[in-house]
Amino acid sequence: MNRDAIQAVALKDMQSISSNIQIWLPLIIVPLIFSIVLPGGLILGLRFWNLDSFGNMGVIVDLLEKLPPGGLRDSILQWDLFEKQVVYFMVNYLFAPLFIIIPLMISSIIAANSFVGEKERRTLESLLFAPVDIKSLFMGKVISAFVPAMVVTFFCALLYGLVVNSTAYPLFKTIIFPRLNWIVMIVWVIPASSLFAIFLNVVISAKVKGFQEAYQLGAMIVLPVLALFFSQLTGVLFLETSLLLWIGAAFFLIDYFMLKVISRAFDRNKLFESQVK
Amino acid sequence: MEKVIEAKSISKSFSGVKVIQDLSFFIRSGEIVGLLGPNGSGKTTTVRLLNGVITADAGHIRVVGLNPFTEGDTLRRRCGVLTESAGLYRELSGEENLLFFAQLYGIKNAVRRVKELLSDFQLTEHKDKKVSIYSTGMLKRLGIARALLHKPQILYLDEPTTGLDPEGARDLLEYIKNLNQKYNVTILLCTHLLKQVQTLCHRFIFIHKGQLLEEGTLQELEDKYLRELSLKVETDLSFHGQSFESYPILKKEPGAVVFRVQNKEAIPLLLRKILKKGPLYSAEICGRDLETLYFKVREAHKHE
Ligand SMILES: Nc1ncnc2c1ncn2[C@@H]1O[C@H](COP(=O)(O)OP(=O)(O)OP(=O)(O)O)[C@@H](O)[C@H]1O
Ligand SMILES: [Mg+2]
Repeated sequence: MNRDAIQAVALKDMQSISSNIQIWLPLIIVPLIFSIVLPGGLILGLRFWNLDSFGNMGVIVDLLEKLPPGGLRDSILQWDLFEKQVVYFMVNYLFAPLFIIIPLMISSIIAANSFVGEKERRTLESLLFAPVDIKSLFMGKVISAFVPAMVVTFFCALLYGLVVNSTAYPLFKTIIFPRLNWIVMIVWVIPASSLFAIFLNVVISAKVKGFQEAYQLGAMIVLPVLALFFSQLTGVLFLETSLLLWIGAAFFLIDYFMLKVISRAFDRNKLFESQVK
Repeated sequence: MEKVIEAKSISKSFSGVKVIQDLSFFIRSGEIVGLLGPNGSGKTTTVRLLNGVITADAGHIRVVGLNPFTEGDTLRRRCGVLTESAGLYRELSGEENLLFFAQLYGIKNAVRRVKELLSDFQLTEHKDKKVSIYSTGMLKRLGIARALLHKPQILYLDEPTTGLDPEGARDLLEYIKNLNQKYNVTILLCTHLLKQVQTLCHRFIFIHKGQLLEEGTLQELEDKYLRELSLKVETDLSFHGQSFESYPILKKEPGAVVFRVQNKEAIPLLLRKILKKGPLYSAEICGRDLETLYFKVREAHKHE
């Protein structure tokens, strides 16, 4: 591995992203909606209007009533008011999968563009003519997607904490966020799942003809996360600390094997012949 | 002189189509060699094979003693390539492009080297502009500056003057010549603009459909392919008929006549005979430029 080259590629790509507002603006708008507008709006709505005036809240009400006995039920039922229970559940559980979407989306878009972006700009050729092993180029691309995804996610988690605690404080008179499950999610599950998304998308990016194709394939990674969201709504599965630890570990294991396969299969000559005209 | 590039019977096909077939050639240290051939003849593919970014199906390549397919990174450290599409980042400035590649190549004192090259190629005043607004000439110059960042021992130039105006092309070729003389850089130049490189290259390699047609210096090609010479004589005399004193007349122009002569030795005698009849202002051998030779080579190999 060639550290200079990894750094050069990563910094160059991050500079290209940050210098183009058309790329980075959409990348932070959705995260800002997830971390400020959605939770803030819902909590304020619940505080100032009657719970019944929210059509879909019935689902959550049913769900909370049917919670199985255990730590989760206890932690939610510690609150006397129904409003408080709903807010507590949303803030600490329901929104968690939406937060996983933030880094997945950012890292997938950047990684999907990694090699095919060089191809479309006709710079892949000069990159491959450089005396740099292909693994270093690959690592540079991985880092250029990983770092922005993590930075935006941590920043959004901070904003989320501020918004949630400040809007919910008048109701609870205490700080309700974060619980341990969120910390595990941010420092363990999100890096692991983002790496998975990045590896997948960089490989896709090295194979496809154009960015559109890469993006469509890469976007499918959001589907299992949406499944997590709805599984919580239907009470199938809750993102508790122990489950999150397992999910993160599973992703890291998959990441490890993907990296092994990639480092064997990623080949300069194949990449050049298939992607440089 | 030491051979720095040696290719022996290399072949390459893309999805079943043979692009390079049994091609052999060599290049000596310090030479400027023109790799000439029509569109699609395999020039760019050859450069890629020599740099190990694609693999040959068969054959044997050594560049500075290294095998491009197993020792590619070591080899590429010593070679610079100007690719057909200059391969620069349009969203970055000229200087940012060079700094990026300098870091990629692991160059020490990158800032100083970049500054030096920007000034060598008259790009200092444009260094902060985005490459997307560069003119064709500026792009080519920046592309060559990029190829030279790591002071390569061998330089590959793939159509360096295509798209340049005559002045830009002349300056560039002058710079290339200087590079070769001052630093002994070996240069392989792919082009189909024969006129421009005629005096620059020490030697020429003609390829066609991925096969070697001919190679040699201008003199060697002349000796081999010019069986007879055309001599253009500027004179007021008017000639009648198809020949003059048994010298065949090829063409008559106002104030000039073109004769066919067997060899150079026949020329003084012809000139003396003309002078006896009237005034003679100039005489020049024509049809021995690279382009004429190129077509003669093509003609000679047509049936292969
Ligand atoms: N990666 C590739 N996949 C498929 N075919 C290719 C590939 N690279 C080159 N070719 C084919 O190989 C042939 C030779 O191409 P090459 O670019 O080497 O020619 P060239 O002499 O450089 O031509 P030009 O003067 O147009 O630049 C062409 O027919 C081209 O279509
Ligand atoms: Mg070419």
